[in-house]
Amino acid sequence: MKIGRKRKGKAAIPTASMSDIAFLLIIFFMATTKFDVKEGIKIVLPQATKEQEESKTVNLTEKEMTRMQILPDGTVVINKEAPRRYDNSALDALIKAKLKENSQMIFKVITDRDAKYEYMIAVVDRLKAMKVEKISLSTN
Amino acid sequence: MANIQTPKKADAKIPDASMSDIAFLLLLFFMVTTVFVQEKQFWVERDRWPVAESIERIPRNLTTTIYVMRDETILIDDLPTRIEEETDVLVYNTLLKKKEENPEVIVCFRTDRETKYGVMSDVMRQLQDANTLIVTFEAQTKRN
Repeated sequence: MKIGRKRKGKAAIPTASMSDIAFLLIIFFMATTKFDVKEGIKIVLPQATKEQEESKTVNLTEKEMTRMQILPDGTVVINKEAPRRYDNSALDALIKAKLKENSQMIFKVITDRDAKYEYMIAVVDRLKAMKVEKISLSTN
Repeated sequence: MANIQTPKKADAKIPDASMSDIAFLLLLFFMVTTVFVQEKQFWVERDRWPVAESIERIPRNLTTTIYVMRDETILIDDLPTRIEEETDVLVYNTLLKKKEENPEVIVCFRTDRETKYGVMSDVMRQLQDANTLIVTFEAQTKRN
């Protein structure tokens, strides 16, 4: 009778797909990495030089400049109109009308020292959304 | 009779046995060199930021952040300060230094939405004095 010897199984881990796994991992991390950026409303402040302070103040008419005065309670005074609360669409319509009058209109946002910061941001956000470039920030 | 041998064709194989080593090396390199941005503390948490739509994205490496809290405490470079008198010029001095290091510096305001505007106005005056004129007001996008 023939007794066969038991064959030992080969004990090898298949490594052929190892590079596939590694590249898969690299690509996964490359695809999911998000570089941290800051998100916000960008504004360029005017320069405060002594010459400017000494220079004559320029009087601008309502056709050239719109005053938007933000009061402590969040209401907005446009030029000399009565204060009222504007929602986004009302502000958009107003800015659009002003820009139609004069595409180079300057918007001067005057915020009361006691007004909340978010009221100012709300107005500047609408100005930015309507692509206004000439925004001036000041306080009274 | 002479034995004429046919010339052997050279093996044209790119060795790919070390491919996985290269890939893992790359993986490890990026894992080791990645630095996570860590803020020690959220001085003004995201849900306290104002809400806005027209938001721009600015690379972090250009920015320096000024935190303004509801109680009018200002935080610049982890140093708290207040602007109550003419002599409170920490913001101005810090920004002068920053401007020297990077003339393109963008000042990023992370302000609590209920802060009174007066303090912002004071800080911005110091910004103008230090000639750092590009600012951003950090805001969260509108949730519908």
